[in-house]
Amino acid sequence: MFERFHQESRQAVSLAQENARRLRHDHCGTEHLLLGLLDQRSCLVSRVLGRHGLDYERAYQAVVRLTPGRRAPALDAEALESIGIDLSAIRERVEAAFGPGSLDRDPVTTRNGRRSGRHIPFSPGAKKALELSLRETLALKQKGIRDGHLLLGILREGRGLASRVIADAGIDAGSLRGEITVELSSGGP
Amino acid sequence: MSDTAQLASDAGSRDPAVGLRAVRALRILVDRLEALQVENAREQGWSWQEIAYCLEVTRQAVHKKYAGGRGLLRREK
Repeated sequence: MFERFHQESRQAVSLAQENARRLRHDHCGTEHLLLGLLDQRSCLVSRVLGRHGLDYERAYQAVVRLTPGRRAPALDAEALESIGIDLSAIRERVEAAFGPGSLDRDPVTTRNGRRSGRHIPFSPGAKKALELSLRETLALKQKGIRDGHLLLGILREGRGLASRVIADAGIDAGSLRGEITVELSSGGP
Repeated sequence: MSDTAQLASDAGSRDPAVGLRAVRALRILVDRLEALQVENAREQGWSWQEIAYCLEVTRQAVHKKYAGGRGLLRREK
């Protein structure tokens, strides 16, 4: 199925993984796919959702809010120092051996490809949404899976956190589907 | 936060909130270091058995903790 993916869709999936890592989540769900789509500011999905006031930053904050406790705990330098452990000294040595950000899995580092981190498994909902994006593409009698089709798949799946984020932003899923479909059919950039 | 006098008094503190927070911070640090070292060992071709031996845990324990998913760490045997 991935061979049908346009470059922007492959990029969205890879950015979804990166966003899951950045959030220190242990799976890649529809919410991460949505962030992967919005992380490409000039693409169709970003443009359409932007018209409704939902951009990457806002979606990211919404995901953070909706996933309390799923975030892996941060390193507590202050508490370590209270028992005589200098976190900055440890970080310095670890980074000397494994590269910048290795102790914190700095997203900037992963973007460069070095220590890109391991693959984060897709949630059943995200898998379903990816499958449905193919079905949406075929239903529109189109060939390649573009980023808009991914969003249609996410909306069709409907039960994931991505749909929640979109609904919480006051966007009606039905009319959003319509707008995306129009954009996809107009053969935009 | 950079008030050294405050930190020095924290170190000697018998306040459980301070002590337990330090323990928790230490555990997170150890987990982070362990993940990094296990990943490195796998990249260098170590078997789960060899890693488990060094960590003094069972092969199953280390495999279960780190071999999930289909990433770099997932390699046959």
